[in-house]
Amino acid sequence: MPFSQVNPYRVDGTADEHRETNVDELDDIVQEFLVESHENLDQLDRDLVALEQHPDSRELLSSIFRTIHTIKGTSGFLAFHRLETVTHAGESLLSRLRDGAQSMNVESANALLRMVDTVRGLLAQIEEQGVEGEMEIQSVIEQVTACIEDGSGKPKAAPAAAAPAPAAPADEAPAAESAAEVPEPVAEVHPEPEPEPEPEPEPAHEESAANAPVPAPRGGPPGPAGPEPGEEGSAPQRRSVAESSIRVDVDLLDALMRLVGELVLTRNQLVRGVSEMSDPALTRTTQRLNLITSELQESVMKTRMQPIDQIWSKLPRVVRDLSSQLGRQIKLAMEGKDTELDRSLLESVKDPLTHLVRNAVDHGIEPPDVRRAAGKNPEGTLTLRAYHEGGHVVVEVADDGAGIDPDRVASTALDRGVITRDQLARMETSDIFQLLFQPGFSTAKKVTNVSGRGVGMDVVKTNIEKIGGTVDVDSTLGRGTTWRLTIPLTLAIIQALTVECSTEQYAIPQIAVDELVFVDGSSDKNIEHVSGAPVYRLRGKLLPLVHLDETLGLPRGSNDKDVYIAVLQAEGRRFGLVVDRVLNTEEIVVKPLATLLKDIGVYQGSTILGDGKVALILDVQSLARRSLLAAQAVERSGLAVDSQQAQGRAGSGNRLLITGVGDRRVAVPLDMVTRLEEFSVDKIERVGSREVVQYRGRILPLVRLAHLLGAYPAEDGDSVPVVVYSERGRSVALAVEKIVDIVEDSVETHSDLDDSGLTGSAVIQQRVTEMLDVRQAILAADVNFFDAIDEYADNYGGGLEEMSAV
Amino acid sequence: MTSRQYTTFEVANQLFGVDVAKVVEVLRFSEYTRVPLADKSVGGLINLRGQVMAAVDLGVRLGLEPRDMTKPSMNVIVNEEGEPISLLVDKIGDVVELQEDTFEPPPDTLAGPLRELIIGAFKLDSRLMLALDAKRAVHSASGAAKTAAR
Repeated sequence: MPFSQVNPYRVDGTADEHRETNVDELDDIVQEFLVESHENLDQLDRDLVALEQHPDSRELLSSIFRTIHTIKGTSGFLAFHRLETVTHAGESLLSRLRDGAQSMNVESANALLRMVDTVRGLLAQIEEQGVEGEMEIQSVIEQVTACIEDGSGKPKAAPAAAAPAPAAPADEAPAAESAAEVPEPVAEVHPEPEPEPEPEPEPAHEESAANAPVPAPRGGPPGPAGPEPGEEGSAPQRRSVAESSIRVDVDLLDALMRLVGELVLTRNQLVRGVSEMSDPALTRTTQRLNLITSELQESVMKTRMQPIDQIWSKLPRVVRDLSSQLGRQIKLAMEGKDTELDRSLLESVKDPLTHLVRNAVDHGIEPPDVRRAAGKNPEGTLTLRAYHEGGHVVVEVADDGAGIDPDRVASTALDRGVITRDQLARMETSDIFQLLFQPGFSTAKKVTNVSGRGVGMDVVKTNIEKIGGTVDVDSTLGRGTTWRLTIPLTLAIIQALTVECSTEQYAIPQIAVDELVFVDGSSDKNIEHVSGAPVYRLRGKLLPLVHLDETLGLPRGSNDKDVYIAVLQAEGRRFGLVVDRVLNTEEIVVKPLATLLKDIGVYQGSTILGDGKVALILDVQSLARRSLLAAQAVERSGLAVDSQQAQGRAGSGNRLLITGVGDRRVAVPLDMVTRLEEFSVDKIERVGSREVVQYRGRILPLVRLAHLLGAYPAEDGDSVPVVVYSERGRSVALAVEKIVDIVEDSVETHSDLDDSGLTGSAVIQQRVTEMLDVRQAILAADVNFFDAIDEYADNYGGGLEEMSAV
Repeated sequence: MTSRQYTTFEVANQLFGVDVAKVVEVLRFSEYTRVPLADKSVGGLINLRGQVMAAVDLGVRLGLEPRDMTKPSMNVIVNEEGEPISLLVDKIGDVVELQEDTFEPPPDTLAGPLRELIIGAFKLDSRLMLALDAKRAVHSASGAAKTAAR
C-alpha cells in the first residue's frame, strides 16, 4: 500500500492549530490518503494529456492504471464506496486501453479526465466533511462506460460525443468539463453542489497546461473549500491537507541542515569577536542574530524529526501476536509517544527496539501460571518509555517479568569461556549484565523461534553504537528488566569533549565519556605499567590505558605527569584515553571525513571548532579495540586480582565520597551518589519552607547538610556543589560546601561515635570523617521518597521475598 | 580546432595544468590541521568557509619531501567526483588557452611518479605544461597510504 513513500519527508507548513483541527477531524490514515491522492491526481492529469499525444504508450497507460487502481484499492479499504465505484469504472476502461482492446481517442480521454475531476471532487468532500457526501457520480460513470462499450476502434461521431459531455457537468458537481473539446463556456454554469466552484487556475496546474497543447480540464480546484490564499478571517477556515503539508526531498533538508550548521559556526565566531569590541548597538544585533540562529537551527532540525510513535505503532501487533503464540498475557503501555527523533535515527532504532520487545515478551515476562505462583498479576506489563534527557533521547523497554539472574549469566559466561573465573571475581553486577551484549551469548534455557538463538543483543548494541548511542540494562531478579537505549537527537550535531594532544585539538563524542581524571604529577598516584601496558588505578580497579599521541603515531609528549585521562566506554569496554589537556565540552557539527582519509579508521569525522580550526573527531570504538592489548596484558599478569585482594584486606572495598560541610568532613557512600552537580545559587528556589532546584525538567528537593548536621555553614559562593541521589525516577539533592575526594573505606578506623544524622565516624586521610546517615538525609529532603519507591515496587512487582523464590 | 583552458601552477619547478572547469578556486592558506596516520602526501585539513577538505601535497606525490605546513601554501581547490579537495602547489600561474593539436601523450622516456600523474603534455612557446590527472593525484594518495601500511 503506497501510503508512505520512504524518501520524502512530509513537512508541515501549517500553524499548529490548523494541523490540530485536521488531526482531530480526520483519521491519520485518511489524511495520508488524501495528500497522496491529490498528488497522484495531478500526475494523472499530466499523464492523460500526454497520452493523447502518444496514444500507444503502454508505459503511460500502465502508470495511469496503477494510480487509479491504488486509489480504488485504498478507497475500498477506507469504505469510500462512491469513490470506489467511480475509480472502478475508470479502471475498467483503462485496462481495456492498456491491453490494447481499444485505443485511446478523444472521447476516452474526456471521460477519463472527467473521472479524475470527479475523484478530485469526492476527495474534497471527504476532506471537508469526513464523508463522501451526496455528489452525483452516475453521469460520469455512464460516460466512462459508454467509451468502453462502443470504443472498439470505431470512432464515434464527434457531435454525439460532445453532446452528452457538456450536458453532464451542468447538472453535476466537480466542474468536470473538458475545455478542449467543449466550445461553450459551460464551465461557469455550476448550479449547487460544489462547495466553491470558481475555476480559479492554481499555479500548480499551469505547468501541466503549458506542457499540453490541449488544456487539461480544470474546475474543482484540488484543494477543497476556499483555496484562495487571501482569505478574510471571516470563518475559522482550516487549510486543506494538501496545502498544509508538502513533500520535500531529503537532500534539500540535508542541505538546509548543513547550511544552518555553517550559520551556527559563523554566529559563534561573530559572537566571540563582538564580545571583545564593546559596541552596544552591535552587541544587541549580535544577540538577536544569536537568537534567530538558534531558533532557525531548531526549526530546521524539527523538519527532520518524527515522533517515535512511527515505529512504536507497529509494536502492539508484534506483542499481541507473540504473546498469544507464547501463551503470555501482556499489557503494553507506552509513555512519551510524541518524543521526536531524527528520521534517519528512527530507522536505525526500529530493529533493535523490535528485538528488545520480542525478547521481553519471550524471556522477560513469565507465563501466567508462573506469575500467579509468584504472587504477581498474571498479566505482565511491558512499558515502552521515551523521553529527553541531557540532549539525548532515552528509549526504555521495561518489563515486570522474572528479571535476569546475574549468577546464571555468569555461569553461562564461564561455561562458554567468555570470561575466566578470575575475571568474574572482579566483576560487579552491572559488568556481568554487560556480558549479555557479547556476540553469541544467550542465557535462554531453550531456544525458541522468537529469540534465544544468541543473535541479538550484540547486534542491538552494535547498531545503536553505530549511530552514536548506548545500550544499558538494569534488572532486579523477580521484578523485571529495563533495557535503555540512549540515542542522540540528531547525527549532524553532537555534544563533544574537546581535548588537546601534541598541540592539536581532537573531539570525542560526549556520549562515550564516563569521567575525566587528572593525573597529578606531584602526587604518588601515577600511571603504572603491567607487562609494558599502561594502566591506571581508578578506585581500586585497573583501567587499561591508551595514549592518544602514541595511537596517532605522534611523538610522545609528557612523561605521564600532569596529564588527563578521559575514561571512555565503547564496545562493552572501559578504558582510559591519555591526553595532554581537556579543553571544553561543546556542540559540534559533524562533517564527513574526506574520502582520502576514511581508511585510517581512527577518525569518525571532522568538525570546525568555535575558533574556526578544523578538528578531527575520534572514533571511540576503534580506540576501544586498541585498548584491548593493554587489557589483555592486565589479564595475563593477574595483577588486577592481586590488587583487588590487597584492597579487600585493606578495607571493606566500599568507596566513600568525602565532602566538606562547614569545617567538618562528611562521607557519603558512593553507592548513594547518583551524580555530582553544581548549581548556581540563584537557581535555588523555594516551595514553602523548602529549597528546591529545577533539574532536568523536574523539581528537585534540596537539603543543606550544614543545616541538617548543625554545622556552621560557610558563606554561599556563586554556586553550590550538590550530591544527587536518584532511585526509580525520584531524586533528591544534598547540598554540601565542597567535594573533597573519593576514597576507599577502611573498616579498622571506624568508630561508633556518632550524632544526629550520622551513622558513625572514621579516620580517613588522617582526619576524623563523619559518616552520613543518607537515608535520614534523603528523608529530610523528601519525606515521601522511600514510600513512593516502595509503592512503585508494590505496583510493579509485589514483595521481594516472594520474588526470590521464583 | 578545439581549444581548452587550463589553470597552471608550478610544483618542483615543473609547470602543471588542470582543466579550468575542475578548479573551484585558488587561494593561499596557512592554517592546516594535521591528520596523524594519514599518508604523508596529506598536508592537512583546511576550513574553506565552513567546508572541511583535505589538502594533498603534490610535491610529495612527485617524490619530494613534505612541505612545511606551518607556513602559508598555495591551494588549488579542485572538484573531484563531487568532493572538493585541495592541491598544494608551489606557485600559481596563468590560465592558458591551449589548442588540442599541441597536446602529446606522456613521452615514453618519462618514468617514475610523474608518469602516473599526468595525462599528457602541451607544448607552450617556452616550456612544457603537463596536464595533471587530478583524480589520480588525489586517489593514488590513498592508495599510497595502503601501500605504506603494508
